[in-house]
Amino acid sequence: MYRIVLSFLLLMVFMTPQAGIAATLKGNVSSTVDNVASVPKAELANVRWLVHKDAVEGTSKLRLVIDTTGPVKINGTLSENDGPQLTIDVKDAVVGKVDDSVSLDGEIADKVTFIKKDATNSQVVVNLSNMIDDSDYKIFTLPSDISSNKTFRVVIDINKPLPKKIYNFTPGLKDKVIAIDAGHGGSDSGAVGPNKTQEKRITLAVAQNVKTLLERAGAKVLMTRQTDVDVYGPNASAVDELQARTKVANDNKADVFVSIHINAFTNPLAGGTATYYYQKTGYDAMLAKNIQDNLAKIDGFQDRGINSARFYVIKRTEMPAVLAELGFISNPNEEKMLNLPQVQQQMGQSIVRGLENFFAQAARKGGGS
Amino acid sequence: MVTRRNLLVIVFVLLVAFIGGCAENTPPTQVIPNEPTKEQQQQAAIPDSQNTPLPSISQEKMTITVYNATQDATHLVAESHVVLKNEHPAQTAIELLVAGTKNAELLSVMPVGTKLRHISVKDNIAYVDFNDKLIKNNTGGSASEMLLVAAIVNTLTEFHNIQRVQILVEGKKIDTISGHMDIGEPLSRSEKIIKK
Repeated sequence: MYRIVLSFLLLMVFMTPQAGIAATLKGNVSSTVDNVASVPKAELANVRWLVHKDAVEGTSKLRLVIDTTGPVKINGTLSENDGPQLTIDVKDAVVGKVDDSVSLDGEIADKVTFIKKDATNSQVVVNLSNMIDDSDYKIFTLPSDISSNKTFRVVIDINKPLPKKIYNFTPGLKDKVIAIDAGHGGSDSGAVGPNKTQEKRITLAVAQNVKTLLERAGAKVLMTRQTDVDVYGPNASAVDELQARTKVANDNKADVFVSIHINAFTNPLAGGTATYYYQKTGYDAMLAKNIQDNLAKIDGFQDRGINSARFYVIKRTEMPAVLAELGFISNPNEEKMLNLPQVQQQMGQSIVRGLENFFAQAARKGGGS
Repeated sequence: MVTRRNLLVIVFVLLVAFIGGCAENTPPTQVIPNEPTKEQQQQAAIPDSQNTPLPSISQEKMTITVYNATQDATHLVAESHVVLKNEHPAQTAIELLVAGTKNAELLSVMPVGTKLRHISVKDNIAYVDFNDKLIKNNTGGSASEMLLVAAIVNTLTEFHNIQRVQILVEGKKIDTISGHMDIGEPLSRSEKIIKK
């Protein structure tokens, strides 16, 4: 709770207006004046913006903060008549000292414009890079706070929307194109266990099990590597190597992408399986959930659940993608189990069952994202 | 103006030395007035205040928050350090993060041998540069990599003038630490990984 309050306060510090106490006082005074239609209560004084790119989850969110010299009422509407736009009607406020328009970075929106609507009302128009849904944005007002030198504010939060690509998944594994990525390989051993087990060996063994099972079910399998090699080339840059893996899936228009890894941490007691996704298609979390639900059933490994993560291979593939962490190689018990062929087989079966469950669920969901 | 200020500082230091005798043997609180302006004046008089450890004539403190990992590698926990105030708190924060935690419940996320090379802040973005041990001595697991990235970003975004963090190694931008995280761009704070 303390952390939430502190981070909120920090955010507020960043949003501190130049307008200062004078504007705040002015706002307070004018707000005591009863409704007189011809006298605007407030002015739009200043605008600040920031794109938040979460260090862990990789999600992007635009925050626009507009300082107003008094309390205002707001209402937002989306339209596509003049390109994708979010229009916020600001009641009882005129365009004041704020710049007429401010250019943004284009990640979520390109421009914000302040327009006079009539004598007492104004509009804030946000030109969006891509159309969003009602659930992708939030607008709210904040009161003035003299103690921290803040005026009244209008806050606009816009999430980066998912692409509007239509998926029409069918149930079953037959004829599905599935990219399987055995993590690390070649000059990159990945994490190494206390008994010298190399991550790259286990990931390849499990990936080959997955391949066999999927092909038996009639799927077409694209392996990023089939032997102990670097995918791009020996001692390539880390990013070339990761890109080479995403290219296998993207160039061949795979239906889904599954990257197989083994985790590691400094504490040898940390353990369990986890599946990571980066929500970019509307199906990524669903894929992660179906695979993790099956991995969670394997004896001897605790269930760490699913989480969003800014992992390169799942962020830069175009199709629904997951990165599965099949236990901790740094945990001596799990290292031992991961070397057992029957455990590697169980891991492979869980991933395949997860894929089967995913296609069934995705087919029920139907078209659209 | 500056000369006069320097003169004042010299007089002040001499006065302190005269009254207190040897400053090292005397509890600072007894003889040294707790005035920040004096400290600032003294710092202005020392040419390389970044690298020269200053004699702590002021008792003014600052609280630095750093992040360490839970034993199960799922979350970060904030840890507060009260240290003498200086002019480079972000550098101090990373140094405290590198130094590790004394809390037996927590684990340091920084790989062994990691050292801060340089840190600068421009347009609310911190550019934090480490030696190559950050990559070479990482455990290789995605859990370690995620906690490491988040600990650096969250420790630095505690400062209101830092909104995003670009991690550098040996002076160069890096795309990943151990082949999982995509960190080629400046990153914002992550709240979800912090244990509430």
